[in-house]
Amino acid sequence: MNYERELLKGNTDSLLLCLINYQPMYGYQIIKELEKRSKGYFQFKEGTLYPALHRLEKAGLAQGKWQRLPGGQERRYYYITLKGQKTLSERLSIWQDFAAAVTLIMQPATN
Amino acid sequence: MAIKLKYADSLKNYLRLDATIEADVVRELNTHLEDKRRELIESGLSEKEATETATRLLGSPQIVAKQMYEVYSQGSWRQAIFAALPHLLVAALFAMRCWQNTFWLIGMIAAIAGSVIYGWCHGKPNWLFPWLGYCLIPVIAVGILLIYLPGNWAWFAATAYIPLGLLVIFSVTRQTIKKDWVFASLMLLPIPIVLGWMVALELEDKLIWHEQLHEFAPLIALSFAILALTVATFMRIRQRWAKVGALLVLEILILVILGLGGKSTIGFGGWLLLVLLSLVLLLGPALLERQMREADRKRLKSHNKSTRWLLPIKWSKRN
Repeated sequence: MNYERELLKGNTDSLLLCLINYQPMYGYQIIKELEKRSKGYFQFKEGTLYPALHRLEKAGLAQGKWQRLPGGQERRYYYITLKGQKTLSERLSIWQDFAAAVTLIMQPATN
Repeated sequence: MAIKLKYADSLKNYLRLDATIEADVVRELNTHLEDKRRELIESGLSEKEATETATRLLGSPQIVAKQMYEVYSQGSWRQAIFAALPHLLVAALFAMRCWQNTFWLIGMIAAIAGSVIYGWCHGKPNWLFPWLGYCLIPVIAVGILLIYLPGNWAWFAATAYIPLGLLVIFSVTRQTIKKDWVFASLMLLPIPIVLGWMVALELEDKLIWHEQLHEFAPLIALSFAILALTVATFMRIRQRWAKVGALLVLEILILVILGLGGKSTIGFGGWLLLVLLSLVLLLGPALLERQMREADRKRLKSHNKSTRWLLPIKWSKRN
């Protein structure tokens, strides 16, 4: 359980960047999208998502903007910045190499 | 609705961020609560149950506020250096022994006054408070000098100047506490050190004073250099407890240096008094803040009560 939590903690920023790279989203929408795309595997503690989003914003990787929806409600949408896109592509490449190497060791080819 | 307001209130209590960021965070979490509440009502929960569940799922406001604080509390290196600059200037003043250089002194006074006026007019940024502390030091220094002057000056200092000076310091401290008490502690940090060195220099005898100043100059410079390091560390650390810890530990270290240097004149009792004064100045703002918040809460409660009484009168007048 702790291992899983540590893995999620280490990759939260990348997951969030990946989602807002797909399309700008607001906090509640991000939680739902993470849950949907991971088929229920990622269930974020709701309160901890917002500090993570603000951390991305402070680091210049994302930008939050208030927008009014047609129904009159206001939402704070997060947009990925150029710096965020660059960071995301770097992290994706590292992650792919890492995952491939781990797979080679943990699930060696049987043939 | 009352639960939602209570959540926003306790979040505000713990946040201690700039007003604009604070308002943004509370607004964003309120929209989240509203979305979650709507979803829960649609799934069959009553309004009350939905509000309670939504706030519970969002987590403790204290933890959310702590994590938000850690996002915004770290100043950049530029801010840390600028905040430490007044202490570095004083350290350089003593290291280069240029306390009699008029050009240097006027430059320092201009830098302090300029930075304080600029910072005060631009939303009181975090780097302002060490500079602001140096505006309070002349108030204290003049009080001490008056005590050492012959004739009726000591009497004037005790009855008029010192109470007035303390009132000014208290009023500035209260204003600073409204932002966050840790900044008041940061502002008051050099007071025990300046006080300690002034006593150690034996101001009553001009000849001894000059000799002592030359003898202690490297130690005075070192103590202000450590003060600069303390401020820079404070600005760069994210966690609140670590910020307060850095202020306490490094202030005591400076007082140890002061005690070793000026031991003969200050004495152990005097040194203990300085340590006690440091603790009061560093932790006193926290207690004062608690009292101020309690008073505000009571005032708000009584205001709400009085407006509740007025409400039926207003309605009857309207009807």
